[in-house]
Amino acid sequence: MTRQLLHHLLVETAERSPEATAVAFRGETMTYGALDAWSDRLAHLLVDVGVRRGDRVGIYREKSSGSVAAIYAILKAGAAYVPLDPHAPPARLAYIARNCGLRWLITAEEKLPLCRQMVEKQAPLEAVILPDVVPARRSDPAETLPPGVRLLAADAVAAQPASPPAVRGIELDLAYILYTSGSTGEPKGVMISHLNSLAFVRWAHQAIQVRADDVLSNHAPWHFDLSIFDVFAAVLAGATLAPVPAEMSVFPVQLAEFIAQTGITVWYSVPSVLNLLLLRGNLKPGAFPRLRTVLFAGEVFPTPHLRRLMGLLPHARFYNLYGPTETNVCTWYEVPPLPADRVAAIPIGRAIDNVEVFAMTEEGRVAAPGEVGELYVRGSTVALGYWGDSERTARGFVSHPSAPFHERVYRTGDLVRQDEQGDYLFLGRRDNQVKSRGYRIELGDVEAAIYAHPEVAECAVAALPDAVVGNRLKAFVVTRGTRPLSPSELVQFCSNLIPRYMVPEEVEFRDRLPKTSTGKIDRTELVR
Amino acid sequence: MSVLDVLRDFLVNDLHWDPRRAPLTPDFALIDNGVVDSMGIFMLVSFLEEQFAVEVKDEEIVPENFGTLGAIAAYVERKRQPA
Repeated sequence: MTRQLLHHLLVETAERSPEATAVAFRGETMTYGALDAWSDRLAHLLVDVGVRRGDRVGIYREKSSGSVAAIYAILKAGAAYVPLDPHAPPARLAYIARNCGLRWLITAEEKLPLCRQMVEKQAPLEAVILPDVVPARRSDPAETLPPGVRLLAADAVAAQPASPPAVRGIELDLAYILYTSGSTGEPKGVMISHLNSLAFVRWAHQAIQVRADDVLSNHAPWHFDLSIFDVFAAVLAGATLAPVPAEMSVFPVQLAEFIAQTGITVWYSVPSVLNLLLLRGNLKPGAFPRLRTVLFAGEVFPTPHLRRLMGLLPHARFYNLYGPTETNVCTWYEVPPLPADRVAAIPIGRAIDNVEVFAMTEEGRVAAPGEVGELYVRGSTVALGYWGDSERTARGFVSHPSAPFHERVYRTGDLVRQDEQGDYLFLGRRDNQVKSRGYRIELGDVEAAIYAHPEVAECAVAALPDAVVGNRLKAFVVTRGTRPLSPSELVQFCSNLIPRYMVPEEVEFRDRLPKTSTGKIDRTELVR
Repeated sequence: MSVLDVLRDFLVNDLHWDPRRAPLTPDFALIDNGVVDSMGIFMLVSFLEEQFAVEVKDEEIVPENFGTLGAIAAYVERKRQPA
């Protein structure tokens, strides 16, 4: 049988080098042999509890070796994994679970009360698996989960055979669904097939030349598409994956120590994390001697900060990777030495191998170099669409505007211009989507959460540019005036509906909001 | 108001912690419970520098000083009393 699915990367590496370290986390390591065997057992357990090819299985836990095994186990069972933000409100997670029919969840003990809340909000869970929990140490399941939801622990995994379950799959099968902010107040699930993911992973492995002796960071959470490079390129190369413990992200000096002590050779994160490292990490010139490659994506890296960081790490190569979740990555740019007086943003670069990008003008023709247009992407990396939403899928994944036969391309909504060198420059959005800390946020999604408060008569959310995090959100709110409403109350209300990175940092109450001549809220006037 | 009260107010009003989720006792873990995240720590450091006129060094931004409300209060008290 030819091996052309994502989890075959693990099977092949485990055959080749079973003793090599696959994951290093908090002082403990897991070999490729162990990762392969444990994910086989977990895959069998999934099949036992009813998971079938094409089903969706959630991963709701912090990063660890066990979480990596969970990803591969779900794929080996023929299902698609759905990573849930460990810090999102249960109401939002319950929506996702209902939306894609999540009946199984691989989680951790501390998440059980939240799993219960998800079930109370109609998440259709049938079984919850705690692969790391020894049954004797488990708290009483009757107290933690509603009746009817099975709870399985490490003993159930260990009892399964360490051989891959016999599940047939093809490369067009769904591999995972990544939920991102949607403009109507509900997240939308981007469906990625094995082929979509592998087209990117194989390119990245080759372009970045990931080797078996590399140590790749994993900073991004699983529900963020940056993690795809980490989890799959590392395994393809037989390199070591080093998930960054969550608390390290809060303390830049500790993050710097982590990079040095773990011997990270390839780093990948959003620019804002690198910014924090630069501003508060107490970095000395020549820090991280083993670090050879720095990849960043998700938002614009302010050029002065990037230049300073490159000055401190002269031995590393820096790459800007670009691509909405719907395209994995579609363009890249190796950052050359930046002149001291340069302030203009660096380009997003050119298409990766085997992918085409082009820009369309408002008049509907292909933009010439120098002209502004919306970026379109064509290639195997382009996602299958949005789960359960054919309308939005049809809007984003459109017929190629100039092909002689029907062919699907993705329109990014990003406005770009090609410079004299042929590199694309990112100019902004066609719509109200913004980036903060690399997270994609639809302002309408935030506004929908604010509107859910009964005291809110009208609101608009604006993104205020910020050199460190990209954008900060500020809400402008008109209340009904029936009772006093404080900014804290409103913000806390929102934090029960949307993830923290989407919650506005600031709330300003107004008597009314400025309007354009067509009666829409005038966003330009609002932030003036 | 004590340093502890000032800090608690900041976490509720500026970092938007909902005290109904869990009360902010002096030993409540701020990082593990998500009260303070990577952006919150920077707002907190700026707040300390302004409110208490102390200079926070990079190497002092560690869990021992910022892990709990009690730890932050003790850190601020130490910084305000020059050795």
